[in-house]
Amino acid sequence: MTALSTETTQAGRTVGIPFILKKAFLSACVALVLFSLMIGIRTEAGPDGQLTWWTRFGDLASIVGLVFGGSIVIELLRQWIGPTGAEKLVPAPIQRSLSLAGRFLGPALLVFTLLVPVIFYNQRYILDLGILVLTYVMLGWGLNVVVGLAGLLDLGYVAFYAVGAYSYALLATNFGWSFWVCLPLAGMLAAIWGVMLGFPVLRLRGDYLAIVTLAFGEIIRLVILNWQSLTGGPNGVSGIPRPTLFGIPLDNSDDGLAAKLGIEYSPTHRIIFLFYLILALALLTNWVTIRLRRLPIGRAWEALREDEVACRALGINTTTTKLTAFATGAMFGGFAGAFFATRQGFISPESFTFQESALVLAIVVLGGMGSQLGVALAALTMIGGFELFRGLETYRMLVFGMAMVLIMIWRPRGIIGHRAPTVYLTKAQAISSDLVKEGHG
Amino acid sequence: MTAATPLLAIRGLRAAYGKIEALKGVDVEINAGEIVALIGANGAGKSTLMMTIFGKPRARAGQILFDGRDISSVPTHQIAHLRIAQSPEGRRIFPRMSVAENLQMGADVTDSTAAERESTLERVFALFPRLKERVMQRGGTLSGGEQQMLAIGRALMSRPRLLLLDEPSLGLAPLIARQIFDAIRTLNRQDGLTVLIVEQNANHALKLAHRGYVMVNGLITLAGTGAELLQRPEIRAAYLEGGRHA
Repeated sequence: MTALSTETTQAGRTVGIPFILKKAFLSACVALVLFSLMIGIRTEAGPDGQLTWWTRFGDLASIVGLVFGGSIVIELLRQWIGPTGAEKLVPAPIQRSLSLAGRFLGPALLVFTLLVPVIFYNQRYILDLGILVLTYVMLGWGLNVVVGLAGLLDLGYVAFYAVGAYSYALLATNFGWSFWVCLPLAGMLAAIWGVMLGFPVLRLRGDYLAIVTLAFGEIIRLVILNWQSLTGGPNGVSGIPRPTLFGIPLDNSDDGLAAKLGIEYSPTHRIIFLFYLILALALLTNWVTIRLRRLPIGRAWEALREDEVACRALGINTTTTKLTAFATGAMFGGFAGAFFATRQGFISPESFTFQESALVLAIVVLGGMGSQLGVALAALTMIGGFELFRGLETYRMLVFGMAMVLIMIWRPRGIIGHRAPTVYLTKAQAISSDLVKEGHG
Repeated sequence: MTAATPLLAIRGLRAAYGKIEALKGVDVEINAGEIVALIGANGAGKSTLMMTIFGKPRARAGQILFDGRDISSVPTHQIAHLRIAQSPEGRRIFPRMSVAENLQMGADVTDSTAAERESTLERVFALFPRLKERVMQRGGTLSGGEQQMLAIGRALMSRPRLLLLDEPSLGLAPLIARQIFDAIRTLNRQDGLTVLIVEQNANHALKLAHRGYVMVNGLITLAGTGAELLQRPEIRAAYLEGGRHA
């Protein structure tokens, strides 16, 4: 206990009951102001259309009391666990076994993902959910290049998702081009839009960059919504062709894959094909990102995130570095968009709202900026968790908000805040794990 | 003075931030193999001169001749390719990247071979053994002195012909600052590296340097050998003895 209190005072935090009570009191005051009108007074239209209202001070009091109590509990928990240095309290052997588990978590997750269609063959719901999660894993990995590696806060990532989706949808429905021809085209078009966004925002940083990218996302959505003759406006594009296995359709026809293989046709085949398709696309994203991180361009992205002035002094062309980051991230967004279009068979501007950008950004931030495994875990928790709490109906947003607040309190760097180094000296120089540990947050 | 053309010759250089002129016609010459110190008070324009050599801010007038070629209009990111390296003010290492990655960043822009890179790395580690000990550690977890070593090491990784050091002793304990200055002297004597060092710590810098320039309000007011400048009463009064004689 004494060790704990010195720890907390070292962190410059005032501890003690008066502090906790004061903090809880302040939270309760804020709650009182906020809820006095929202909950304290109930208004409704009366039978003759006049305004009737009554007070609910009992409810108000209980809410304020709840906030007061909750604030105390959270503060106590926070002091019990320690500010953010949770690792400090974890004994070394446990920490070592945790890091060992961490090393196998990635491969284990991959093997499990590969086996999902086998295990859950008859459960369409789980397969669909898996496809959804993987789509967001891919989007998260794509955005991770821009936000996590290059440190450029992009709030309009959904724009590239939309460009990719509409590219495939329009090329396929108008010209009848196949998915495999359109996929690279969709990625390229999205990358071009990434560069087009990149140019005007080259001089912007932080908040200003975020605002412009947010606007860019809205512009793309509004253009799609209003360019009726090309995009069909709010009606969207329907009848988007399903993907084929290199020309072999996955349907009930005589040319279909099932007929060719001589097995009985099942609609699940297509779902499983889609599952492996998005898995392959996501793994491609991951592989490319990991490779790029070890090349000068990837290091330049990370250096750019750290210090732009130093980058210039080292002879890094910050213009091309930023543009390639935008283009690379956008390209993966475009791939994911094309996949989304072929999976849904129908797209409309409603699928590409700011909420999607926010969700993908939340996945990247929660996962730990720059961590590939963290992003995958965050996507699984966010999307999977969202489905898990479906039973809670309207309260699930509340549960979700709570979970995010808790993660931000205890793991402010994200689920996996540790950044894997990319440069090693010659192999002869064994790196002691104690030194590597310093990399932890 | 010398028959050979200077490695870096700055002639009548003017630079400004908006309407505020920071350099009002500066002339500085650095010969190959020299350590030149630039001293002056806060806001005299020392750091601006460093940054103008790197093209940010751009020179409004005058010339920056590197090896006889005017580089005042070369884009900032290409200056480093001419093998001019900079250890910027405030060190500016990459805090979340490891020491090895920070050093690698310095080598990335040059087209040096793997063998050259390896030998440069050995040289950096020989100069600053502390960096070798901490090679897998994050840059941000290093002490101030180690970060300064890293900043210099990172600059050296590009195998520069001219090294610009902006306030290498800033915020360092005297003992650590001495180590840094010793390393610079070693680099100059053993490797023949040409160094331009900007310092507020005039005493250290002038003892280290072959020649020195004193800058006041965007102009060079005094020039001479390091020893000469150290003897000048006005220098002693203004920069060395806390203005007690003034």
